[in-house]
Amino acid sequence: MSNPFPLEKGQLLEAYRRMKTIREFEERLHVDFARGDIPGFVHLYAGEEASGVGIMMHLEDQDRIASTHRGHGHCIAKGVDVKGMMAEIYGKATGSCAGKGGSMHIADLSKGMMGANGILGAGAPLVCGAALAAQKLGHDGVGVTFFGDGASNQGTVLESMNLAAIWNLPVLFIVENNGYAEATSVDYAVASDSFVDRAAGFGMPGITVDGTDFFAVYEAAGEIIKRAREGAGPTLMECKMVRFFGHFEGDAQTYRAPGENEENRANKDCLKIFRAKVTEAGALSDADLDAIDSEVMKLIEEAVEEAKAAPLPAPEELTNDVYVSY
Amino acid sequence: MKGTLQVTKVGIIANPVSARDIRRIVSHAGNLPINDRANIVLRILTGLCITGVEEVLVMPETGGIRAQLLRTIERESKMGKFRFPKVTYLKMPVTGTAEDSVEAARQMHDQGVGAIVVLGGDGTSRVVVSGCGNTPIAGVSTGTNNAFPELREPTVTGLAVGLAVTGQVPFKYAFSFNKRLEVTVNDKREIALVDVAVVAERYIGARAIWKTDNFRDLFVTFGRPDGIGMSSIIGLLAPLDRETPEGRRVRLIPVDQADHVLAAPIAPGLIEDIGIGSVETIEPNQIYQPSVSVGSFALDGERELTFSEVDAVGIRLQTDAFRTINVLDCMAYAAKHGLLTSKANNRLAQLSKKGGT
Repeated sequence: MSNPFPLEKGQLLEAYRRMKTIREFEERLHVDFARGDIPGFVHLYAGEEASGVGIMMHLEDQDRIASTHRGHGHCIAKGVDVKGMMAEIYGKATGSCAGKGGSMHIADLSKGMMGANGILGAGAPLVCGAALAAQKLGHDGVGVTFFGDGASNQGTVLESMNLAAIWNLPVLFIVENNGYAEATSVDYAVASDSFVDRAAGFGMPGITVDGTDFFAVYEAAGEIIKRAREGAGPTLMECKMVRFFGHFEGDAQTYRAPGENEENRANKDCLKIFRAKVTEAGALSDADLDAIDSEVMKLIEEAVEEAKAAPLPAPEELTNDVYVSY
Repeated sequence: MKGTLQVTKVGIIANPVSARDIRRIVSHAGNLPINDRANIVLRILTGLCITGVEEVLVMPETGGIRAQLLRTIERESKMGKFRFPKVTYLKMPVTGTAEDSVEAARQMHDQGVGAIVVLGGDGTSRVVVSGCGNTPIAGVSTGTNNAFPELREPTVTGLAVGLAVTGQVPFKYAFSFNKRLEVTVNDKREIALVDVAVVAERYIGARAIWKTDNFRDLFVTFGRPDGIGMSSIIGLLAPLDRETPEGRRVRLIPVDQADHVLAAPIAPGLIEDIGIGSVETIEPNQIYQPSVSVGSFALDGERELTFSEVDAVGIRLQTDAFRTINVLDCMAYAAKHGLLTSKANNRLAQLSKKGGT
């Protein structure tokens, strides 16, 4: 059978590779963090890969994204070097930010990745600035900000939606709704309960997609990004998804229903859903995907080994890269 | 109220995830806020209450409708107003998907409701019918494409449903029988209430259909000249009502190969040129094959099933397949027989007894 998907075989393989890389990266961090190898906090993106990759497959380096505290997946999907990321999380001098940023501050402007961000909702105004720059420079770059159901209540997000609407900025507001703001259910914490209704309040269109289905995200994101590039302004998209781990590593997850994690792993795993779709359609074979699995495992293992072997930042580096002269 | 009360339970399905798809981007389709959805449910409840429905089973959800509904009912109760029947939420897990509507319909049917009121458009009505067995439904038009549910004030729909399920309106006026299409791909079976579009693209993606280039066939149960959605194509070529026991098929071809092109409103705000081939009548219970051997079926506007050369596929029209509340005839009967008219003294006594105003 022929490939029925709106991506060439190479693109399908690339999408799977990015999702699988995120998954293995996060699964490995889960283990290494529990062993005490990693300083600081980590918030894992496992389970949410289809959202980041489904969107990022449409973006170029000139398109800017701003991420969250749960930013590893966005970084990998946007093309940030995996070994540099791992070293950064290990706090080593070879890291993406020379080992001084850690998990929540990984950035790579050359890839259009403006940074993970430990401050909830802080990415939204940043991408409004990037989108305004694209608009003024006259290129068709877009800005994409990711935030969770919890951060959706932050004033910065709401103010940015207003700004993007009145200036008709090419911004995508992506609500990654995994159902919990840390441990607080979205049912309790979000007054209007509908993120799409909030978009309507600012006069911008909003939609909801199944964030566990790469192809649903990919198609919807493609339309929104095309619309933004053509000058039609901002859009909000809610991706309904699940996270496989706790809010942070060490979270006892007492707020979840019995069996919820097992149910998510069994039936809402975006990688399994992707594999089933492409193999049933005959677009890719299990062997194609298994080969990527092996390559990714090797890459992650190398990334960890190299990170562990790398030096710590030198003390005299402490204030470098902290202040900028304008 | 006149007549004998027979059934006093009604179901209401208001799924907050309906009408949230990509058509809000590509075609300026409507976006009914959660607050308005809750207000619509409240208006339906007033109609049901006054006609004698005692209990309403409601689909649980976590999208905000429930919170507003219960808050309003409690507030009005404290104010001494009793305009709503008892509201009971079904006990079922909430997935936040269309599957909730199917499960709620199943449970409501099992619990013997007289009818199910559905907020939504063609897609939501379809999934409810797929789960509700022989329980009649009443649509309240709040979806994207609303060819199936009639546009009407929900208060009046509530009144008609109440009059029908309590037996105040005789069966022959209260209910209509409807056609539907059944689509099979091997052992998978799905239904459509209005239309089945065959798309020469074996891909589901974001489900909603709006790109017309690959449309190859359209099967409909009915099509009105003033309709919206894919069925408008038939409505503008060879209209067909809901009652006539036949369907229509139109073969669609690329615009650059067609002799005739139709500008059809295939979604709200989306009027597209459609290349028209032949228009044919389809007979009940005959199995029809799509024009292409590889593609997907879009049911009432959403891609649901894919197929290829190796699959056994078929499309079949079924008549008298499910019941709806005939709101217009219910209200006409109520007017003719004074069902909502009573002696002023009796009415005041009735309201006083209920504690209402």
